[in-house]
Amino acid sequence: MKRFLLTTALAASLALPVHAATPAEGETLAENQTLDFWILDAVKTLDPHKNTDVDGAHVLRQLFEGLMNEDEAGAMVPGIAESYEMSDDGLTYTFKLRDTAKWSNGDPVTAEDFVYSWQRAVNPETASEYAWFMELMNIVNATQVVAGEVPPEELGVRAVDEHTLEVTLSTPTPYFIKTLSHGTTFPVHRATVEEFGDNWTQPGNFVSNGAYVLDSHDLGVKVTLSKNENYWNNAETVMTPLNFITINDQNVALTRYQAGELDWFDRVPAGQFPNLQEQYPDQAVAIPQACSYAYLFNMSDKGPEALKDLKVRQALAYAVDRDIITDKILQGGQKPAYFWTHWAIEGFEAPEIEMAGWTQPERIEKAKALLEEAGYGPDNPLSLTIQYNTSEDHKKLAVAVQQFWKAIGVNATLANYEWKVHTDRLQNQDFEVARYAWCGDYNEASTFLDYFRTDGYNNGKWSNADYDALLAEAKTAENTTELYKEAEQVLNADMPFVPVYHYSNAMMVNADLRGIPYDNVMYNWYAKDLYRVAE
Amino acid sequence: MFGYILRRLAVAVPTLLLLIVFSFLLMHAAPGGPFTGERSLPPQVLANLEAKYGLDQPLIVQLWNYLKGVVLQFDFGPSFVYPDRTVNGLIADGFPVTLTYGLLSFVLAALVGITLGVAAAIRHNSWLDYLAVGTSIGAQVLPNFVMAPILVLVLTLWLGWLPGGGWSFNDPSYWIMPVIALGTSYMASIARITRSSMLEVLGSNHIRTARAKGMPERRVILRHALKPALLPVISYLGPVFVSMITGSVVIDIYFSTGGIGRSFVDSALNRDYAVMMGITILVGALTVLFNLIVDILYAWIDPKIRY
Repeated sequence: MKRFLLTTALAASLALPVHAATPAEGETLAENQTLDFWILDAVKTLDPHKNTDVDGAHVLRQLFEGLMNEDEAGAMVPGIAESYEMSDDGLTYTFKLRDTAKWSNGDPVTAEDFVYSWQRAVNPETASEYAWFMELMNIVNATQVVAGEVPPEELGVRAVDEHTLEVTLSTPTPYFIKTLSHGTTFPVHRATVEEFGDNWTQPGNFVSNGAYVLDSHDLGVKVTLSKNENYWNNAETVMTPLNFITINDQNVALTRYQAGELDWFDRVPAGQFPNLQEQYPDQAVAIPQACSYAYLFNMSDKGPEALKDLKVRQALAYAVDRDIITDKILQGGQKPAYFWTHWAIEGFEAPEIEMAGWTQPERIEKAKALLEEAGYGPDNPLSLTIQYNTSEDHKKLAVAVQQFWKAIGVNATLANYEWKVHTDRLQNQDFEVARYAWCGDYNEASTFLDYFRTDGYNNGKWSNADYDALLAEAKTAENTTELYKEAEQVLNADMPFVPVYHYSNAMMVNADLRGIPYDNVMYNWYAKDLYRVAE
Repeated sequence: MFGYILRRLAVAVPTLLLLIVFSFLLMHAAPGGPFTGERSLPPQVLANLEAKYGLDQPLIVQLWNYLKGVVLQFDFGPSFVYPDRTVNGLIADGFPVTLTYGLLSFVLAALVGITLGVAAAIRHNSWLDYLAVGTSIGAQVLPNFVMAPILVLVLTLWLGWLPGGGWSFNDPSYWIMPVIALGTSYMASIARITRSSMLEVLGSNHIRTARAKGMPERRVILRHALKPALLPVISYLGPVFVSMITGSVVIDIYFSTGGIGRSFVDSALNRDYAVMMGITILVGALTVLFNLIVDILYAWIDPKIRY
């Protein structure tokens, strides 16, 4: 085994042993350190192994601490694990857990806690919707346990001693460490879960190991957390209490931000950001967010014949004027997309895409020519249906795309479905062209590119052996940058989708709030790193 | 009368049963399921989830088990979308909220509406009538989804008097805007119905007789005119009462009250079968109950009606 002083992230953090709220010189902390944070929906569960929502994840990240955390740039920094070693074959990771870590009831956080929790996450009885995450981590036997073929005890995770955890992988996984800040890997307190069953997440029963404890949960109204006195680094936590306030409508939330009822409001409704920026220059911020928006072509047998023709797909992709979409419709710092992976993903370099360099009139001209070659024209116009799920923003974009395609002589009909029906149709290939978006699970390009693998989620059922081979190679490669670039080129050459835009997160932040990880494209923030300054 | 009530209650049982069966089948016929998401789940995970909630059984078995749970144990089952909540728990959390603002709103709407309507009818074609009619038309064209943002704009953003949303049972300042926003248009309808019905009654023979025999006007109105004039109002109020206390999705979304009005719509969109069924049954049972109460009130008000 070779001892790693870890990557730069951990090396840096050794000099600065803990990551916590760190006021800059000259900053005075405000008396009031409350955080009122907006969430869109009721928090469905506070069980980290059952949560599937982004909003729920924001709450859980404060309550629990996994092996690793993320810093303000998204780099991995130690959480409960002080350090780790990787075996030469890249298959075994040994984590040294800090012996000062405690649960909110005073019990020590042990390696056994992680073993129990990870087994729980994949146990079919837990029926976790994120059990696949452990499969993604390539932990030995994860797939077999989820399938009920072997008992959860066979999962490749074991407590060597009270503070040493050993994880065995089935294949070397370059992004493994990056998965360790995800909620599915958080430990839960065994005695509490076993005592209260499904009710262990109720205030009063709740035991957590993160910087905060659960005070109250008023479903659909508010979740309140306060500092965990037993947290190993509680002395450095500044912000408390935290209120996660549910407001089911973006515009209402914006009003309440303006009324001073919220300190932090993300997801500014499309089109409103420029105005807000002008009105509140010190509060409006737009940061990249790891999601990509696209129109998928149905390439399966159930898809329309026309879309099997590469020329048609290219024509449709060229005709979409992405600048109008980002600059005139969305206006929240989004970037036009010509490839799939979000541009800000760590270690990803944007590939050279030919059409990105053309002007829109050039693209239109090429699109028209391609359509004609494919046999479509004024006498034989191409007709397609664009399917999208109910949302004002999706509708605006679909209408725009309909117009862009009309310009090259394609008649697009819009079909609006509510979310569940849309998804169901996507998964059964009952669509022609469909609005789609993908958000990364971890900060590495494979989280995007895996989507289009033959056995990926890949709702359009595109399949390309070269692409699959490139991604398989990337799994064990030392340097993946070129491989991912090449994979994007394969995608672009075959155009199974129309990349439309890369997300940004346009938000309003109270001017006295500091420590928000603006450079973390995963938008994973830790309230223990935040603080408010006196004005 | 007692026999009539018993008969009505006996009919209510098959009515509710039919409601349950139809809602159950319709809900399951909708495309997608509670676990349909952006990322299709690996088949084993989906199988595990379906097994946990009994969705792997034939539909008829699921329906039978559901009915058994509801009838025998009054257990509406676990929520499919809120894994650590039961339907009973969700309703117990959300219903008191809508009941509070709905009931207050109902009382307010009924009191103001009836008063306005009666006043307008008595002073027919006077400035009071025009004012009352004007107010109720104004209120009618301001449905709750228009009222709510206006209230927030004025009372929260401009004046800073009230919190813009949220809920607390201990702090009535959270109740005010939901009560007003929900009640305004109902108030207007009640005023209009009362006014026209009152006008009709005031023109009838028994009122002319009462006046002719020299009965004081006050007594004519309160004893002889108001009671019959209220009949159409009461038949309107019955179903309105149920729909108000079971909440409004607009109010719940706009003011983030955590009430069941939103849960109802959400559960349908999320395919949270159990929650959808639970609230359907609650609303159904209340509707049946209040229709019965309206009928009993009828008999009490109008001696001509006998069951």
